[in-house]
Amino acid sequence: MLRKMAQMICMKVNGVDRRVEIKDNELLLDVVRDKVGVKSVKAGCWRGECGLCTVLLDGKPVKSCLVLAVEADGKDVKTAEGLAPEGQLVPIQRLFVEKGAMQCGFCTPSFVLTAYYLLQVNPNPTEQEIKDYLSGHICRCGTYKQMIEAILECAKLNNQKKQAAIEKAKR
Amino acid sequence: MSFGSPYLTLPDFQYSRPKSLQEALQLLDEHKDEAKILAGGVGLFAFMKERLVDPRYVLDIKGITELQTLRDEGSEGLTIGAAVNLNSVLEFEPLKERYKALRDCIYLLSDPVLRNRSTLLGDLCEALPYVDSPAPLLIFDAEVETASLKGKRRIPVSEFIRGVAEIALEPNEIAVAVHLKAPPENSRSLFLKHTSSGEFSVTNVAALCANPSRPENRTVRLAYGAIAPTPTRVRDVEELFKRKAPITQLIDEAVKVIMKSVEPMTDVLATAEYRSHMLGVLSIRAFRELLGC
Repeated sequence: MLRKMAQMICMKVNGVDRRVEIKDNELLLDVVRDKVGVKSVKAGCWRGECGLCTVLLDGKPVKSCLVLAVEADGKDVKTAEGLAPEGQLVPIQRLFVEKGAMQCGFCTPSFVLTAYYLLQVNPNPTEQEIKDYLSGHICRCGTYKQMIEAILECAKLNNQKKQAAIEKAKR
Repeated sequence: MSFGSPYLTLPDFQYSRPKSLQEALQLLDEHKDEAKILAGGVGLFAFMKERLVDPRYVLDIKGITELQTLRDEGSEGLTIGAAVNLNSVLEFEPLKERYKALRDCIYLLSDPVLRNRSTLLGDLCEALPYVDSPAPLLIFDAEVETASLKGKRRIPVSEFIRGVAEIALEPNEIAVAVHLKAPPENSRSLFLKHTSSGEFSVTNVAALCANPSRPENRTVRLAYGAIAPTPTRVRDVEELFKRKAPITQLIDEAVKVIMKSVEPMTDVLATAEYRSHMLGVLSIRAFRELLGC
Protein backbone atom coordinates (compact mmCIF):
# COMPACT_ATOMS: atom_id res chain seq x y z
CA MET A 1 0.00 0.00 0.00
CA LEU A 2 1.33 3.42 -0.87
CA ARG A 3 1.38 6.10 1.75
CA LYS A 4 -1.02 9.02 1.87
CA MET A 5 0.13 12.22 0.22
CA ALA A 6 0.60 14.26 3.40
CA GLN A 7 2.73 12.82 6.15
CA MET A 8 4.90 13.67 9.13
CA ILE A 9 8.62 13.33 8.81
CA CYS A 10 11.22 13.65 11.50
CA MET A 11 14.66 14.99 10.75
CA LYS A 12 17.48 16.45 12.77
CA VAL A 13 18.19 19.97 11.55
CA ASN A 14 21.36 21.47 13.00
CA GLY A 15 21.20 19.13 15.96
CA VAL A 16 17.52 19.72 16.80
CA ASP A 17 14.85 17.10 16.09
CA ARG A 18 12.10 18.55 13.91
CA ARG A 19 8.77 17.01 13.12
CA VAL A 20 7.34 18.53 9.98
CA GLU A 21 4.19 17.81 8.01
CA ILE A 22 5.00 17.55 4.35
CA LYS A 23 3.54 16.46 1.05
CA ASP A 24 5.38 13.83 -0.95
CA ASN A 25 6.26 16.26 -3.73
CA GLU A 26 7.84 18.90 -1.50
CA LEU A 27 11.51 19.64 -1.95
CA LEU A 28 13.92 19.55 0.96
CA LEU A 29 14.92 23.09 0.00
CA ASP A 30 11.39 24.46 0.53
CA VAL A 31 10.82 22.52 3.73
CA VAL A 32 14.10 23.60 5.31
CA ARG A 33 13.50 27.24 4.44
CA ASP A 34 9.76 27.64 4.89
CA LYS A 35 8.74 25.00 7.42
CA VAL A 36 11.88 24.73 9.54
CA GLY A 37 12.83 28.37 8.99
CA VAL A 38 16.51 27.97 8.17
CA LYS A 39 17.18 30.78 5.74
CA SER A 40 20.87 30.34 4.94
CA VAL A 41 19.82 27.69 2.44
CA LYS A 42 19.16 29.72 -0.68
CA ALA A 43 17.18 29.04 -3.81
CA GLY A 44 18.95 29.91 -7.03
CA CYS A 45 18.43 27.90 -10.19
CA TRP A 46 16.16 25.11 -8.84
CA ARG A 47 17.86 22.61 -11.12
CA GLY A 48 21.11 21.64 -9.46
CA GLU A 49 23.40 23.97 -11.34
CA CYS A 50 24.21 26.81 -8.95
CA GLY A 51 24.72 24.93 -5.68
CA LEU A 52 23.17 27.66 -3.49
CA CYS A 53 20.75 25.23 -1.84
CA THR A 54 23.52 22.87 -0.65
CA VAL A 55 23.00 21.22 2.73
CA LEU A 56 24.91 18.43 4.43
CA LEU A 57 22.62 15.39 4.42
CA ASP A 58 24.02 12.81 6.81
CA GLY A 59 27.28 14.72 6.56
CA LYS A 60 27.57 14.82 2.78
CA PRO A 61 26.80 17.86 0.62
CA VAL A 62 23.72 17.55 -1.61
CA LYS A 63 21.72 20.10 -3.56
CA SER A 64 18.42 20.33 -1.71
CA CYS A 65 16.48 21.51 -4.77
CA LEU A 66 16.92 17.98 -6.13
CA VAL A 67 16.12 16.11 -2.92
CA LEU A 68 12.61 15.34 -1.67
CA ALA A 69 11.88 16.34 1.89
CA VAL A 70 10.56 12.83 2.50
CA GLU A 71 13.97 11.43 1.56
CA ALA A 72 15.42 13.28 4.56
CA ASP A 73 13.07 11.47 6.94
CA GLY A 74 15.15 10.17 9.85
CA LYS A 75 18.29 11.85 8.58
CA ASP A 76 20.62 14.57 9.76
CA VAL A 77 20.52 17.90 7.94
CA LYS A 78 23.19 20.47 8.56
CA THR A 79 23.36 24.03 7.25
CA ALA A 80 25.83 26.87 7.76
CA GLU A 81 24.02 27.80 11.01
CA GLY A 82 24.68 24.30 12.29
CA LEU A 83 28.44 24.70 11.93
CA ALA A 84 28.34 27.47 14.55
CA PRO A 85 25.45 26.63 16.89
CA GLU A 86 26.57 28.99 19.67
CA GLY A 87 27.60 31.72 17.27
CA GLN A 88 31.23 30.56 17.56
CA LEU A 89 32.39 30.44 13.94
CA VAL A 90 34.34 27.39 12.84
CA PRO A 91 37.74 28.20 11.27
CA ILE A 92 36.51 28.01 7.67
CA GLN A 93 33.70 30.48 8.43
CA ARG A 94 36.09 32.84 10.22
CA LEU A 95 38.56 32.68 7.33
CA PHE A 96 35.85 33.45 4.78
CA VAL A 97 35.25 36.64 6.78
CA GLU A 98 38.94 37.44 7.23
CA LYS A 99 39.81 36.91 3.58
CA GLY A 100 36.76 38.82 2.38
CA ALA A 101 35.63 35.75 0.47
CA MET A 102 32.24 37.22 -0.36
CA GLN A 103 30.63 40.29 -1.75
CA CYS A 104 26.84 40.05 -1.60
CA GLY A 105 26.99 36.96 0.60
CA PHE A 106 24.13 35.09 -1.07
CA CYS A 107 26.21 32.05 -2.00
CA THR A 108 28.47 32.12 1.06
CA PRO A 109 26.62 29.56 3.25
CA SER A 110 26.72 26.98 0.46
CA PHE A 111 30.40 27.50 -0.30
CA VAL A 112 31.21 27.30 3.41
CA LEU A 113 29.41 23.97 3.73
CA THR A 114 31.09 22.42 0.72
CA ALA A 115 34.50 23.76 1.78
CA TYR A 116 33.92 22.39 5.28
CA TYR A 117 33.17 18.94 3.83
CA LEU A 118 36.09 19.10 1.41
CA LEU A 119 38.54 19.74 4.26
CA GLN A 120 37.12 16.78 6.15
CA VAL A 121 37.70 14.35 3.29
CA ASN A 122 40.82 16.02 1.93
CA PRO A 123 42.77 17.90 4.63
CA ASN A 124 45.45 19.04 2.15
CA PRO A 125 43.70 20.07 -1.06
CA THR A 126 45.68 21.66 -3.87
CA GLU A 127 44.35 24.79 -5.51
CA GLN A 128 43.18 22.70 -8.48
CA GLU A 129 41.40 20.20 -6.21
CA ILE A 130 39.57 23.08 -4.52
CA LYS A 131 38.53 24.49 -7.88
CA ASP A 132 37.29 21.08 -9.01
CA TYR A 133 35.43 20.48 -5.79
CA LEU A 134 33.66 23.82 -5.92
CA SER A 135 32.75 23.44 -9.59
CA GLY A 136 29.12 22.80 -8.71
CA HIS A 137 28.76 26.19 -7.06
CA ILE A 138 28.34 29.59 -8.62
CA CYS A 139 29.31 32.92 -7.03
CA ARG A 140 27.85 35.69 -9.11
CA CYS A 141 30.15 38.28 -7.51
CA GLY A 142 33.15 36.21 -8.50
CA THR A 143 34.98 36.04 -5.18
CA TYR A 144 36.40 32.62 -6.00
CA LYS A 145 39.99 33.78 -5.55
CA GLN A 146 39.41 34.82 -1.95
CA MET A 147 37.47 31.62 -1.21
CA ILE A 148 40.35 29.49 -2.47
CA GLU A 149 42.74 31.53 -0.30
CA ALA A 150 40.48 31.01 2.72
CA ILE A 151 40.31 27.25 2.15
CA LEU A 152 44.08 26.92 1.64
CA GLU A 153 44.70 28.99 4.78
CA CYS A 154 42.22 26.88 6.75
CA ALA A 155 43.96 23.67 5.64
CA LYS A 156 47.28 25.18 6.77
CA LEU A 157 45.90 26.16 10.19
CA ASN A 158 44.25 22.75 10.67
CA ASN A 159 47.54 21.03 9.93
CA GLN A 160 49.49 23.32 12.26
CA LYS A 161 46.99 22.57 15.00
CA LYS A 162 47.27 18.84 14.34
CA GLN A 163 51.08 19.08 14.34
CA ALA A 164 51.03 21.03 17.63
CA ALA A 165 48.79 18.37 19.19
CA ILE A 166 51.19 15.63 18.08
CA GLU A 167 54.17 17.55 19.51
CA LYS A 168 52.31 18.06 22.76
CA ALA A 169 51.45 14.37 23.01
CA LYS A 170 55.14 13.50 22.47
CA ARG A 171 56.15 15.72 25.36
CA MET B 1 8.54 30.48 -1.67
CA SER B 2 8.04 28.61 -4.91
CA PHE B 3 4.56 30.10 -5.58
CA GLY B 4 3.38 26.82 -7.07
CA SER B 5 5.04 27.54 -10.39
CA PRO B 6 6.41 24.89 -12.70
CA TYR B 7 10.20 24.87 -12.94
CA LEU B 8 10.24 25.43 -9.17
CA THR B 9 7.87 22.73 -7.92
CA LEU B 10 7.22 19.09 -8.57
CA PRO B 11 3.82 17.85 -9.73
CA ASP B 12 1.81 15.76 -7.24
CA PHE B 13 2.76 12.15 -6.79
CA GLN B 14 2.86 9.45 -4.17
CA TYR B 15 6.30 8.51 -2.91
CA SER B 16 7.27 5.08 -1.70
CA ARG B 17 10.50 3.53 -0.60
CA PRO B 18 10.39 -0.21 -1.27
CA LYS B 19 12.72 -2.19 0.96
CA SER B 20 13.46 -4.99 -1.46
CA LEU B 21 13.70 -5.43 -5.19
CA GLN B 22 10.73 -7.80 -5.03
CA GLU B 23 8.59 -5.13 -3.39
CA ALA B 24 9.70 -2.51 -5.93
CA LEU B 25 8.89 -4.85 -8.82
CA GLN B 26 5.45 -5.59 -7.42
CA LEU B 27 4.68 -1.88 -7.12
CA LEU B 28 5.99 -1.26 -10.60
CA ASP B 29 3.97 -4.13 -12.00
CA GLU B 30 0.88 -2.64 -10.41
CA HIS B 31 1.42 0.92 -11.68
CA LYS B 32 3.55 0.37 -14.82
CA ASP B 33 3.70 3.58 -16.89
CA GLU B 34 2.25 5.62 -14.05
CA ALA B 35 5.32 4.99 -11.91
CA LYS B 36 8.84 6.33 -12.22
CA ILE B 37 11.96 4.96 -10.59
CA LEU B 38 13.90 7.40 -8.40
CA ALA B 39 17.60 6.81 -7.81
CA GLY B 40 19.60 10.05 -7.69
CA GLY B 41 16.74 12.18 -8.94
CA VAL B 42 19.02 14.60 -10.75
CA GLY B 43 17.44 13.89 -14.12
CA LEU B 44 13.99 12.82 -12.95
CA PHE B 45 13.28 15.90 -10.82
CA ALA B 46 14.55 18.26 -13.52
CA PHE B 47 12.16 16.69 -16.04
CA MET B 48 9.31 16.67 -13.51
CA LYS B 49 9.81 20.35 -12.75
CA GLU B 50 9.48 21.11 -16.43
CA ARG B 51 6.38 18.87 -16.50
CA LEU B 52 7.96 16.74 -19.20
CA VAL B 53 7.44 13.76 -16.89
CA ASP B 54 4.44 13.57 -14.61
CA PRO B 55 4.28 10.23 -12.77
CA ARG B 56 1.56 9.39 -10.24
CA TYR B 57 3.94 7.21 -8.27
CA VAL B 58 7.62 7.65 -7.53
CA LEU B 59 9.47 4.56 -6.35
CA ASP B 60 12.68 5.36 -4.51
CA ILE B 61 15.11 2.46 -4.97
CA LYS B 62 18.02 3.93 -3.00
CA GLY B 63 17.29 1.87 0.09
CA ILE B 64 17.38 -1.49 -1.68
CA THR B 65 20.53 -3.36 -0.65
CA GLU B 66 20.59 -5.56 -3.78
CA LEU B 67 20.98 -2.43 -5.93
CA GLN B 68 23.93 -1.08 -3.98
CA THR B 69 26.38 -3.58 -5.46
CA LEU B 70 29.77 -2.25 -6.51
CA ARG B 71 31.95 -5.23 -7.26
CA ASP B 72 35.12 -5.98 -9.18
CA GLU B 73 35.27 -9.60 -10.29
CA GLY B 74 38.68 -9.44 -11.93
CA SER B 75 38.55 -11.11 -15.32
CA GLU B 76 34.78 -11.44 -14.99
CA GLY B 77 34.44 -7.67 -15.12
CA LEU B 78 32.81 -5.02 -13.00
CA THR B 79 29.26 -4.63 -11.67
CA ILE B 80 27.72 -1.31 -10.72
CA GLY B 81 24.28 -1.34 -9.08
CA ALA B 82 21.50 1.11 -9.87
CA ALA B 83 21.57 2.74 -6.44
CA VAL B 84 25.33 3.40 -6.27
CA ASN B 85 26.11 7.10 -6.44
CA LEU B 86 28.76 8.40 -8.81
CA ASN B 87 31.18 9.50 -6.09
CA SER B 88 31.30 5.90 -4.83
CA VAL B 89 31.98 4.65 -8.34
CA LEU B 90 34.63 7.31 -8.88
CA GLU B 91 36.47 6.36 -5.69
CA PHE B 92 36.36 2.64 -6.52
CA GLU B 93 39.96 1.46 -6.99
CA PRO B 94 39.59 -0.59 -10.25
CA LEU B 95 38.34 2.49 -12.08
CA LYS B 96 41.59 4.34 -11.60
CA GLU B 97 43.52 2.23 -14.13
CA ARG B 98 41.59 -0.60 -15.76
CA TYR B 99 38.36 1.26 -16.43
CA LYS B 100 39.86 4.71 -16.77
CA ALA B 101 37.58 5.79 -19.64
CA LEU B 102 34.60 5.34 -17.33
CA ARG B 103 36.38 7.18 -14.54
CA ASP B 104 37.17 10.15 -16.79
CA CYS B 105 33.59 10.16 -18.00
CA ILE B 106 32.12 10.21 -14.49
CA TYR B 107 34.58 12.90 -13.43
CA LEU B 108 33.29 15.16 -16.21
CA LEU B 109 29.69 14.06 -15.96
CA SER B 110 28.52 16.21 -13.07
CA ASP B 111 30.02 18.20 -10.24
CA PRO B 112 31.24 16.66 -6.95
CA VAL B 113 28.14 17.69 -4.99
CA LEU B 114 25.69 16.30 -7.55
CA ARG B 115 27.76 13.13 -7.72
CA ASN B 116 26.73 12.38 -4.13
CA ARG B 117 23.29 11.66 -5.58
CA SER B 118 23.48 10.96 -9.31
CA THR B 119 23.91 7.43 -10.63
CA LEU B 120 25.43 5.82 -13.70
CA LEU B 121 22.26 3.99 -14.71
CA GLY B 122 20.30 7.19 -14.18
CA ASP B 123 22.49 8.90 -16.74
CA LEU B 124 22.28 5.98 -19.15
CA CYS B 125 18.49 5.61 -18.84
CA GLU B 126 17.97 9.26 -19.80
CA ALA B 127 19.23 8.15 -23.20
CA LEU B 128 19.38 11.70 -24.48
CA PRO B 129 22.01 12.20 -27.16
CA TYR B 130 24.21 14.39 -24.97
CA VAL B 131 24.58 11.99 -22.03
CA ASP B 132 28.15 10.83 -21.49
CA SER B 133 27.99 7.32 -20.10
CA PRO B 134 27.17 5.26 -23.25
CA ALA B 135 30.49 5.70 -25.06
CA PRO B 136 32.74 4.35 -22.27
CA LEU B 137 30.23 1.59 -21.51
CA LEU B 138 30.30 0.55 -25.17
CA ILE B 139 34.08 0.09 -25.25
CA PHE B 140 33.83 -2.18 -22.19
CA ASP B 141 31.04 -4.25 -23.85
CA ALA B 142 28.72 -3.34 -21.00
CA GLU B 143 25.35 -4.95 -20.45
CA VAL B 144 22.39 -3.61 -18.53
CA GLU B 145 20.81 -6.11 -16.17
CA THR B 146 17.07 -5.63 -15.84
CA ALA B 147 14.57 -7.24 -13.51
CA SER B 148 10.82 -7.76 -13.62
CA LEU B 149 8.51 -10.14 -11.80
CA LYS B 150 9.13 -12.59 -14.66
CA GLY B 151 12.87 -12.64 -14.01
CA LYS B 152 16.08 -11.02 -15.08
CA ARG B 153 17.65 -10.36 -18.46
CA ARG B 154 20.79 -8.72 -19.79
CA ILE B 155 20.75 -6.22 -22.63
CA PRO B 156 23.95 -4.94 -24.30
CA VAL B 157 24.21 -1.15 -24.03
CA SER B 158 24.26 -0.97 -27.84
CA GLU B 159 20.74 -2.45 -27.88
CA PHE B 160 19.57 -0.80 -24.67
CA ILE B 161 19.58 2.69 -26.18
CA ARG B 162 17.13 2.59 -29.05
CA GLY B 163 16.74 6.25 -29.87
CA VAL B 164 16.38 9.68 -28.32
CA ALA B 165 15.02 9.09 -24.79
CA GLU B 166 14.04 5.59 -25.87
CA ILE B 167 15.37 2.56 -24.04
CA ALA B 168 14.71 -1.15 -24.21
CA LEU B 169 13.09 -1.23 -20.78
CA GLU B 170 9.56 -2.61 -20.47
CA PRO B 171 7.13 -0.63 -18.26
CA ASN B 172 7.34 -3.36 -15.60
CA GLU B 173 11.13 -3.60 -15.63
CA ILE B 174 13.81 -1.92 -13.52
CA ALA B 175 17.41 -1.52 -14.67
CA VAL B 176 19.16 -3.00 -11.66
CA ALA B 177 22.85 -2.99 -12.59
CA VAL B 178 25.35 -2.48 -15.35
CA HIS B 179 28.04 -5.09 -16.01
CA LEU B 180 31.29 -4.11 -17.69
CA LYS B 181 33.49 -6.78 -19.27
CA ALA B 182 37.11 -6.73 -18.17
CA PRO B 183 39.33 -4.93 -20.69
CA PRO B 184 42.29 -6.83 -22.22
CA GLU B 185 45.40 -7.11 -20.04
CA ASN B 186 47.61 -4.00 -20.02
CA SER B 187 45.07 -1.93 -21.87
CA ARG B 188 44.66 1.78 -21.44
CA SER B 189 41.51 3.75 -22.05
CA LEU B 190 40.35 7.33 -22.06
CA PHE B 191 37.31 9.53 -22.51
CA LEU B 192 37.33 12.90 -24.27
CA LYS B 193 34.46 15.31 -24.32
CA HIS B 194 33.81 18.51 -26.17
CA THR B 195 31.04 20.56 -24.61
CA SER B 196 28.82 23.44 -25.57
CA SER B 197 28.91 26.44 -23.25
CA GLY B 198 27.22 24.34 -20.56
CA GLU B 199 28.22 20.85 -19.51
CA PHE B 200 26.40 18.97 -22.25
CA SER B 201 28.51 17.05 -24.72
CA VAL B 202 28.51 18.17 -28.33
CA THR B 203 30.81 15.27 -29.12
CA ASN B 204 32.38 12.66 -26.88
CA VAL B 205 34.72 9.81 -27.57
CA ALA B 206 35.82 6.80 -25.50
CA ALA B 207 38.74 4.74 -26.71
CA LEU B 208 40.77 1.76 -25.53
CA CYS B 209 44.06 0.26 -26.63
CA ALA B 210 46.17 -2.75 -25.66
CA ASN B 211 49.60 -3.72 -27.03
CA PRO B 212 50.06 -0.60 -29.18
CA SER B 213 53.50 -1.66 -30.42
CA ARG B 214 52.59 -5.21 -31.56
CA PRO B 215 50.24 -5.01 -34.55
CA GLU B 216 49.17 -8.69 -34.45
CA ASN B 217 48.07 -8.41 -30.79
CA ARG B 218 46.95 -4.82 -30.95
CA THR B 219 43.44 -4.15 -29.67
CA VAL B 220 41.89 -0.80 -30.42
CA ARG B 221 38.30 0.20 -29.68
CA LEU B 222 36.48 3.48 -30.16
CA ALA B 223 32.93 4.60 -29.43
CA TYR B 224 31.35 8.01 -29.70
CA GLY B 225 28.29 9.74 -28.31
CA ALA B 226 26.39 13.01 -28.51
CA ILE B 227 26.98 13.28 -32.26
CA ALA B 228 24.03 11.31 -33.56
CA PRO B 229 20.76 10.35 -31.82
CA THR B 230 22.32 7.13 -30.56
CA PRO B 231 25.88 6.29 -29.44
CA THR B 232 27.97 4.04 -31.66
CA ARG B 233 30.97 1.76 -31.35
CA VAL B 234 32.92 1.83 -34.61
CA ARG B 235 33.82 -1.83 -35.02
CA ASP B 236 35.32 -1.31 -38.46
CA VAL B 237 38.41 0.39 -37.02
CA GLU B 238 39.17 -2.55 -34.76
CA GLU B 239 40.40 -4.86 -37.55
CA LEU B 240 42.12 -2.02 -39.34
CA PHE B 241 44.56 -1.48 -36.48
CA LYS B 242 45.80 -5.09 -36.64
CA ARG B 243 47.59 -4.34 -39.93
CA LYS B 244 51.32 -3.79 -40.14
CA ALA B 245 51.63 -0.19 -41.29
CA PRO B 246 52.95 3.03 -39.80
CA ILE B 247 50.71 4.11 -36.93
CA THR B 248 50.11 7.58 -38.35
CA GLN B 249 48.82 6.04 -41.57
CA LEU B 250 46.48 3.72 -39.66
CA ILE B 251 45.16 6.63 -37.62
CA ASP B 252 44.45 8.61 -40.80
CA GLU B 253 42.56 5.65 -42.27
CA ALA B 254 40.70 4.98 -39.02
CA VAL B 255 39.54 8.57 -38.73
CA LYS B 256 38.19 8.38 -42.29
CA VAL B 257 36.27 5.21 -41.39
CA ILE B 258 34.89 6.85 -38.24
CA MET B 259 33.79 9.99 -40.06
CA LYS B 260 32.11 7.87 -42.71
CA SER B 261 30.22 5.80 -40.13
CA VAL B 262 28.43 8.73 -38.55
CA GLU B 263 25.35 10.66 -39.54
CA PRO B 264 25.80 13.72 -37.36
CA MET B 265 22.79 15.71 -36.24
CA THR B 266 22.11 19.41 -35.95
CA ASP B 267 20.42 20.68 -32.80
CA VAL B 268 20.52 23.73 -30.51
CA LEU B 269 23.97 22.78 -29.23
CA ALA B 270 25.83 22.47 -32.53
CA THR B 271 25.54 21.88 -36.26
CA ALA B 272 26.16 18.51 -37.89
CA GLU B 273 29.21 19.92 -39.65
CA TYR B 274 30.78 21.11 -36.40
CA ARG B 275 30.05 17.84 -34.62
CA SER B 276 31.55 15.86 -37.43
CA HIS B 277 34.69 18.01 -37.42
CA MET B 278 35.05 17.66 -33.64
CA LEU B 279 34.64 13.88 -33.90
CA GLY B 280 37.67 13.83 -36.19
CA VAL B 281 39.65 16.01 -33.80
CA LEU B 282 38.80 13.97 -30.70
CA SER B 283 39.42 10.64 -32.46
CA ILE B 284 42.90 11.75 -33.56
CA ARG B 285 43.67 12.97 -30.04
CA ALA B 286 42.45 9.70 -28.52
CA PHE B 287 44.45 7.49 -30.91
CA ARG B 288 47.63 9.55 -30.57
CA GLU B 289 47.45 9.43 -26.80
CA LEU B 290 46.77 5.69 -26.63
CA LEU B 291 49.08 4.58 -29.45
CA GLY B 292 51.86 6.86 -28.31
CA CYS B 293 52.63 9.01 -31.31
